[in-house]
Order: sequence, then C-alpha cells, then structure tokens
Amino acid sequence: MRDSLTAARIRLGLTALGFLVASVSLAPSTARAATLPETGDAIVDSSIGDASRLLPILATDSASGEIVGLLFNGLLKYNERLQIVGDLAESWTVSDDGLTITFGLRPHVRWHDGVPLTADDVRFTYEKLVDPNVHTPFSSSYERVASVEVVDPHTVRVHYREPFAPALESWMMGIIPKHLLEHEDLNTTTFLRHPIGTGPYRFVRWKTGELIELAVNPDYFEHRPFIDRYLYRIIPDQATLFLELLTGGVDQAGLSPLQYTRQTDTPYLRRRYQKFRYPSFGFTYLGYNLHDARFQDVRIRRAINLAIDKQAILDGVLYGLGAVATGPYPKESWAYDPSVTPDPYDPDGAKTLLAQAGWVDHDGDGWLDREGQPFRFTMLTNQGNEVRRQVAELVQQQLKAVGIDVKIKIVEWSTFVHEFVDKRRFDAVLLGWNLSRDPDLYDIFHSSKTKEGEYNFVSYANPEVDRLLEQGRRTFNKAERTQIYHQIHRHLYEDQPYTFLYVADALPIVSARFRNVLATPIGIGYNLIDWYVPRREQRYHQLSR
Amino acid sequence: MARYLLRRLLALLPVLLWITVISFGIMHLAPGKPTDVTAQFNPKVSLEARQRMEKLYGLDQPLPTQYLQWLRRIVALDFGRSFLDERPVIDKIVERLPITVAINIWSLLLILLCAIPIGVIAAVRPDGLFDRLTTVFVFIGYSMPSFWLALLCMAFFGVSLHWLPVSGIHSLDYDYFSWVHRGLDTAWHLILPVGMSAFVGLAGLSRYMRSSMVEVLRQDYIRTARAKGVSEWRVLFHHGLRNGLLPLITILGLSLPDLIGGSVIAETIFSIPGMGRLFYEAVMARDYPVVMALVTVGAVLTMLGNLLADIAYAYADPRIRVGETP
Repeated sequence: MRDSLTAARIRLGLTALGFLVASVSLAPSTARAATLPETGDAIVDSSIGDASRLLPILATDSASGEIVGLLFNGLLKYNERLQIVGDLAESWTVSDDGLTITFGLRPHVRWHDGVPLTADDVRFTYEKLVDPNVHTPFSSSYERVASVEVVDPHTVRVHYREPFAPALESWMMGIIPKHLLEHEDLNTTTFLRHPIGTGPYRFVRWKTGELIELAVNPDYFEHRPFIDRYLYRIIPDQATLFLELLTGGVDQAGLSPLQYTRQTDTPYLRRRYQKFRYPSFGFTYLGYNLHDARFQDVRIRRAINLAIDKQAILDGVLYGLGAVATGPYPKESWAYDPSVTPDPYDPDGAKTLLAQAGWVDHDGDGWLDREGQPFRFTMLTNQGNEVRRQVAELVQQQLKAVGIDVKIKIVEWSTFVHEFVDKRRFDAVLLGWNLSRDPDLYDIFHSSKTKEGEYNFVSYANPEVDRLLEQGRRTFNKAERTQIYHQIHRHLYEDQPYTFLYVADALPIVSARFRNVLATPIGIGYNLIDWYVPRREQRYHQLSR
Repeated sequence: MARYLLRRLLALLPVLLWITVISFGIMHLAPGKPTDVTAQFNPKVSLEARQRMEKLYGLDQPLPTQYLQWLRRIVALDFGRSFLDERPVIDKIVERLPITVAINIWSLLLILLCAIPIGVIAAVRPDGLFDRLTTVFVFIGYSMPSFWLALLCMAFFGVSLHWLPVSGIHSLDYDYFSWVHRGLDTAWHLILPVGMSAFVGLAGLSRYMRSSMVEVLRQDYIRTARAKGVSEWRVLFHHGLRNGLLPLITILGLSLPDLIGGSVIAETIFSIPGMGRLFYEAVMARDYPVVMALVTVGAVLTMLGNLLADIAYAYADPRIRVGETP
C-alpha cells in the first residue's frame, strides 16, 4: 500500500501532463499491418489509484489524467516524435511578435451528445481555467493570456501580454463543453462523474475504487477506434496486479524493473504479452542545498558527480532499464545536447578535486576532514519509494569510498516537503522530477523561484542561466530554442546544482492479442485508436445492454 | 432501565466531543495540507495558485475557527465535502460501506461458526490432542502475515487452479448480469477475502471460548448435571455453552465498530474498494472532512457497542440486572 501510494505520488509531477500522455493521435500509416484491422473486443487497462474528477481542468492525479485523455481533446497535442501537431485545431499560427496565437478548429467535431464543438467552447474552457472560484491548480499556465477572442465559430485568437513559448503546450488542455457546464458549479457538478467530451471514447460507468468503463465513440473525428470498450481496473497492489497478468485479468500494466527483467521472462508470459521499453520524461537527481558552505564550492559538487557510478546504480537498482542522465532532458528530447558527455566514474579524480577544496583525510580515520571537521552530510529522501531508498544506499557506499560520510534520512512526503525542503533544512535531497515535454525549466532553476514553496529549493543562481531561461520562453523559433536549451543543459552539467543520476524507462506490458502497439518516444498509448484485435483472438464480446 | 439508558447516553456526549477535538488536533498537527496532493511538486502549479486553493478550502482560518465550523456542520449531520474530489463525504462513505460490512459480517459469522465448536470441544479435554491441534491451527492464522498468506492463496486458487478470481469484488460485466448471477458472482469473489479475514480472527474468539468453557465446566452445577445422568452432549451445549457464551457478548459488542472498519492491507491486496482504503487514502491525502467523518462515526459506534454489550450482559446475566435496578 505504501509503495503504491508513493508510486501515485511519483506520478504526480506528471499529472499536469497525464492527459497528454494518454491522448491519442492518428498513427503513421506506414505501421499498418498487412491484415485489415477488425473492430471489436475490449482492453482492460490497470491503475494503482482511482480517478477523482473527470474534467480536464480539474484532473490533477494521473488516473484522472489518463481517462480524461481518452474522453477529451485539446487544441494541440504531441505526435509520436514529440512534435506539436493539431488535435481539435487543424491549423494554428503564431504572430511574428509572438503575442497572438490563432487556432483554426476542425469543422464537424461533435460532443458525445451530438452538439457541435465551437470556438465558444474554447473560450469557455479558458474562462474556467482562470476563474478564481474554480478549484483548478492549472491557472498559472494561462496568467500571461490577455484575452481569448472568438473570431468566428471555428477560429479562436489568443492574445498574450508577453511572448510565452510554453503556451503552445498549455493548449493541449482538454476543451470542455460550454453548453453543458455554463450554469454549473464546476467544483461539484455531476459532470465530474459523468463527463461528455469529444474524444475517441465516451463515458459509460464508474464504480468508485473498482472500475471505469468507456465505450467507443463511433463518430470520432479521426476515425472510429477499433477496440469497442476500454475498461480501467483499479488494482492498488503491484503483486496482485502481477497475478492478474498471469490469469489474463488485465491486458495492460506498468511493470517494475524487477518484474520486467525476471518475473515476466517465462514462456507463458512471453507468448501472451508484449513488453515495451522507452524513456520516461523525468529524472532522478541528488540536489544540493547551495546555502551550505561546502556545496557552494562547485569543485565539491563536481567531485561528488565523479564519485557516483551512475551506471552501477542503474544496473543494480533498475536492472539497467534506464539511461545515465547528464541533464534534465531524456536523449529523445530536442532540448538534449548530445555534446554534453558524462564524466566517467572517477573516484581518484574526485579525491583530487576534494583535496583542492581542502578536504583531505588528515587523521587517517577514513573520512575526509577540513579544520578538524569530517565531511559528513545527510541525504534526505521520501518514504515509501523502494527504488529511491536503494539508490540512496548505493550513493552512500560510493561516497564512502572517497571518504564522505553520508547519512540517509527517509521522511514521509508531506513532512519532507514542508519541514525540510520548504524550510531549507537539508544538506542534500534525493528526488525525481517528472517534467513536461516542453523544455522550459524556469520554475526549477531560475533564481527568482526560491521562495518557500517554490521549486528552486536548491537556491541555484546563475545569471547566464537566468537569462537563457527567460529567453527560451520568449521565442517560438524552434531552432533558436534548441540552441538555448542546449546551452542550459551544458551550464547545468558544469555547475552541478543537481547531480543528475538517471532517466528511468517506462515498462508497459500489453496483451499480445493487440496489434499495432508501437513503442515511440512518447510511449505506446498515443495511437490507441489504431490498436485492434484480429477477430479470432477477440476475448470480450458485445454485451446486451 | 430507561433512566439508566438515558444517563449512559448523555454521558457519551462529552466523550464524543473530546474525541473529535483530539482527532481534529492530531490531523491538523500532522505536517502537510490537502492541497499538497493535488498541487505539490508540480512545476505547472504556481505558489499563488496553491495559496488560492487553500483559501477556498478555508484552510487559512485559525484552527479553532475551523474546528467550530466543522462542529456546527456536524451537529446538523453535515459531514461536508471531500477535499479530494469535492463529493459529499456521506456519499463516499455510503458507497463503500456495504462491501466492508458484508465482508465483516460474513467473516464474523464464519468465525463464530468455527470458534464456538472449536472452543467447546477443546475445553472438554484441555491440552488434549484436539486442543493442541486447534491451538496450533488458529495461531498460524493469527501470526502469519496476512498479506503473504493472501497472495499465496490468490496464486494457488486463482492462478494455478483457476477456481477463484484473483482480486476484485465483481466480474467486469457485473452490471449486465441478472440478479441471481450477480449474487453468485459476488459470493465467488468474496470467498478468499472472507476466508482470509476469518482465519486471521479465529484465534481470538476460539481461545476466549475455550477458556470460558474450561472455567464453566469446573463449576458445581456441571458436576450436578453430570451426576443427574444428563448426556454429555446436553451438558456441554445446554448447561455449559449458555454460561460459557457470556464473555463473548462483551467481545461482540466491542467488535461493532470493526464492522464498518476495513483492513487496509486486505482491501489493497484484494483490490476491494472498502472503508479501510478510504480512511487510509484520506489520511495520506490530508482529506480532513473524510478523516473526521470516519473518526466520528467510529467513535460513536465504539461507544454504542460498549453500551450494547453492557445492556446485553445485563439481559443475559440476571445477577447484573438485579444489582442494577433494586
């Protein structure tokens, strides 16, 4: 239980994007199999936690995000190569000054109740996002919007006070129906449990804590999805989930590295399931409190980077299912600078650097010391995350080898955030970030974001990085942005405000009867509407309603 | 008797009030806020947005004010709305109550059905073979980690034999079944969870039953009954059992609150959406309204259970009844 809850929390960072991950798009036709896709069957997906509110602007947990992603569409979305493409918008243009974005909506899109979608729905969604009485945490992404103008029923123009490149990503927020929600209190409306959207699946029923059922939307604007039903089972325990896989009780699940490498490697499971592996958008890191006099010295941060064998951590804890990180972006991102090469594991180099900074083992007790003080610090991490605990122990061992004495302290999440991180009562933290596909890192590394409760809690301040972060948000030009984020990546690696450890892989498993399931940089779910099951392998048949 | 009851009921009120004050205090002393779960550590959510949400939930008010507001609502039996999904707390409880109560009642019946005969027969020859065997058996259930045993049973009956479902309480298409089919489906899903829960709880009641019967069988009236030539069966189950059951009444009364409390571990392993998970998730999410509602309901039931046990005791044992109302 504790583990699963933490897992839910780990996914929290991603929640803002949950709806993106699950959103579906037209698959490249090249991937079509030789046989013609057949309709029918159901897919039984699984989740450790239940959804809470099925409205895009209130969907904060990952379960709600996944379901909402199938029920609603944004104006834009990411395709399988992480490029921004139209979803409800068939065209969009950004004005030269970057202050106006004009969206042309697809004609003939209808809500699940048959009412046509119009530009008014878009404006309504925006109004609700910034309405102070709506309990949405997502308003921050829209505070630079000056106004949303309905030009005609199929054209919306968004005016900005200043250019803001991450804005495009913010329009991936699911659009909600004005005609059904106009007179409702969005916080409490029954719509939250009986949603009506434009997506490839429509809502059927929700048994709290147990099951959510969706049915195909035959009029979906891209094409009718082939799979008739989508069932979302809530299975909070990872061991139970595994047993359900063995009996075929679920068709799709996320595996742990141990399950992926060892437990699923049986002839039965190899025959019945297909496994996938692709990098998740997030990284695990060791963050330093830069108010600590020792960590202010960049030589020490670099020394620790040299002293940590990331590949050993990956192999030992994640069974090699991930990649060593050199910065905040996975290799698949255009913001990743491939010329940033990771320094090799070099404990001797680390010792040299530490000695330059004055840390030498003077008294021969095995620990480095300076002015009679041993080099000792506490590494803080959150409770309930088994992988993180193991990583902490490996880091502890590896730093011991260079003479740094690390204490591990594991604290419950809320306490961790409020009593330690917010109040800066820590030496170093072992944490992970799940980030959006847009490379903007203003909130995490800009020197202005160091107030209590803000996310630059390591208090990193580099005027050059500040300037680049500001610049990166102000231009829409992809080539220019690529340049900027490559530089940010390099600065972060040189400055080491965090020691970047690894990017873990997402490890989904899907029943072998589903065809057209493709692992791409954005994952496997993006083309759910193209998945199908050949008729003779179909398992669930149409039920009399 | 009526005056006695009234007096006892009134005496419960201050206790209840204290319980709520203390639980409210503890809940708010724990670090963290309800907004953490929806908005913490998500760079897309600014500090301002979080503070605004706290204000909307009334979390910026001083604690005593928050408590009084809660108390004012609770007096009118309004449990408020969950912070997590803004549904009325009462709906969330009502939705999860039936399955938990069903599992607990079935498991209690199963326990009684096994514990009474085990206790009685074991008491006939204390430390005899039957007594030793059953003692070992019930203590295995008591001391074995229940989650591990549950997983073993799921793997054996569910995966290897395919006799029972692995988890869940309904088949996927339950809602489209006929009434009879639904009943059978639920029963089929409940076999493992109920069996597990009964196995774990068997030790307590059967041991109570045994020691109480050992005590009773030593009494003079049992010897008298045997001397009269009453059959051993009748001695045990007529003369002995009626007196031996008295202590069980207290225990059953005290288990009233347990009927609505689910086991977090069992519910998680078996994927059962019951009260245990509701409470645990509410605590972890700092969903104050849900936590407070469950604590209050639990406290009321505990106190009522105590009261009921006292009354039932007085009813079953004339000596107490006589002493109480001269």
